Amino acid sequence: MEQIPKSAPKPSMAAETTTALPIKHLEFKVAMLLALTLVLSIGFLGYVFYARGVFESTQRVVLVTDDSDGVTVGMPLTFAGFAIGRVRRIELADDAKVRINIDVPTKDARWLRTSTVFIIERALVGGVRIRAATGILEDPPLPDGAVRTVLRGDATEELPKLISTMKSLLENLQAMTAADSSLGASLSNVRTVTDRMAGRYGALSAALGSDENARKVIASIDRANKLLDSLGGVTARLDQTLAKTDQRVFGKDGVMDDAQKAIGQLNAVLGDVRDSLKKADAVLADAQKIGANARAATDDLATLRAEVEASLRKVSALIAEINRKWPFARDTELKLP
Amino acid sequence: MQTSTFHAAPARLGRAFGAWAAGWWRVFRFGATALVMAASPSAYDRATSNLMARQVYFTAWQILPGFIAVCVLLSYMVIRIVVLAAGKYGLAEYALNIAVRVQVLELIPLFVALFVALRSGAAINTEVVLMHIRGDLEALQSAGADPMRHELVPRVVGSAVSVVALTVIGGAIALVLAYVAMYGFSAGGMEDYADVIGSIFDFHVTLGLGLKALFFGLAVAVIPITASLEVPREARFAPIAVLSGMVRLFLSLALIEGASLAVKYI
Repeated sequence: MEQIPKSAPKPSMAAETTTALPIKHLEFKVAMLLALTLVLSIGFLGYVFYARGVFESTQRVVLVTDDSDGVTVGMPLTFAGFAIGRVRRIELADDAKVRINIDVPTKDARWLRTSTVFIIERALVGGVRIRAATGILEDPPLPDGAVRTVLRGDATEELPKLISTMKSLLENLQAMTAADSSLGASLSNVRTVTDRMAGRYGALSAALGSDENARKVIASIDRANKLLDSLGGVTARLDQTLAKTDQRVFGKDGVMDDAQKAIGQLNAVLGDVRDSLKKADAVLADAQKIGANARAATDDLATLRAEVEASLRKVSALIAEINRKWPFARDTELKLP
Repeated sequence: MQTSTFHAAPARLGRAFGAWAAGWWRVFRFGATALVMAASPSAYDRATSNLMARQVYFTAWQILPGFIAVCVLLSYMVIRIVVLAAGKYGLAEYALNIAVRVQVLELIPLFVALFVALRSGAAINTEVVLMHIRGDLEALQSAGADPMRHELVPRVVGSAVSVVALTVIGGAIALVLAYVAMYGFSAGGMEDYADVIGSIFDFHVTLGLGLKALFFGLAVAVIPITASLEVPREARFAPIAVLSGMVRLFLSLALIEGASLAVKYI
């Protein structure tokens, strides 16, 4: 075992390891280091005091709210995104309201007016923010120690409502997508239809419900096609007939020719008739004249007729006499001259 | 002799616990004595001042350039990472806050404490255990000089001052770099920056930071010295003293850090 020799009592011996080498400017260097440390510490503390607004005069705003959840001491009060104040104290008042004391540096207090509203915003992500919003900057400035009620702009407060809405929406969706839902039934019907469409008779079978019906329809169409074919033949013959008729009627020596001739003749006949009528007219005129003369003669005729009638009666009686006397003669007709 | 070992187990455990508790008790007693002595001006004369200055020189001044370089690099990296990550998650407005908290309040003090513990804590441990084994301290005492005042307290004070000085320098570097990383080399962000710094460093946090740096500084010297003094005066115990001293120191640093976090955030 190594033995460390026990040295004689020498006060300086103990520090030998560190005092062995003389160090140049030892005191100066250490003093420099200590001075640097001191300066940095004091500078830092001074900066922190400055940053915390210890050197500037402040005025107080007291915000009253129901719930200070998330609000912490030291939290900034922002105006247009700039921190203009800092929460100094949060206390629960006797009326169960939370009083948030905020210190606002006097130079920043000009943004706060009597009409300024204060809002506590809770975002979904990130913390709580206290905002001040001033609509009219011409209003009188907010007095020191003013007490204001805070408005709440809470994103999370909407959450329960949102969740319940989403829940009902999801339930509806679930009902719609369930196996026995009407949507499911419709989809299965659609599937049946598309299956049929993929079958032998395609969309026709899908539309009519079964292959049987589809077959009937196709047969009908076939027959209709045949009918159309024969109709085509009929039409062709009708065409021929019409051509012939055309020829017969309008062709050379056709009916129309004859009719034309007939009409020509008829015209001639009518002309003749007109002439005849003119003659008849003249005859009538003559007859009129004759009529006037005949009236005078009529009186004579009446007498004559009476005489003739008497003669006739005499003859009749004579014939009747003969017939009685001549029974074999059956021809009783008497020819008058 | 199974039964006897079985019965002996609790007793052994009890003895071990007793030794452990006594060890910590010595740490606290020595720490308190050192503090009281350091606070009394009569404890300082030319020799003790010189020893203290040497301790500060070896612990802080010698490593200053390397320390500043590492600090700049590490701080800038951590701050950039925090700023970028915060921006990615839409928390850019909290980036500076987080970066400064992480750096100045937690990382830098712990980093400094570990740095000094590895460099000077281990050296003090070895030096004092050698003095203890050689009997230098008794020799001093018999010569009429207080070894506590002449040898030990200057080391404690020197270490504590070094840790505080390095913490302050590292913190200042981190604060400047945080501003640069956030706003670049323009004065435009001064008001925002002041707001953030003002909101972070309230009275409790600032006091906590100071106390933490002080406790780290004390632990770095007090725990190795106590561990050196409690081993039997044989050379073979020297490595054990250094080992137990460093382990205890590491645990203490972790405890102080954990306690400061708990006080701040719970």
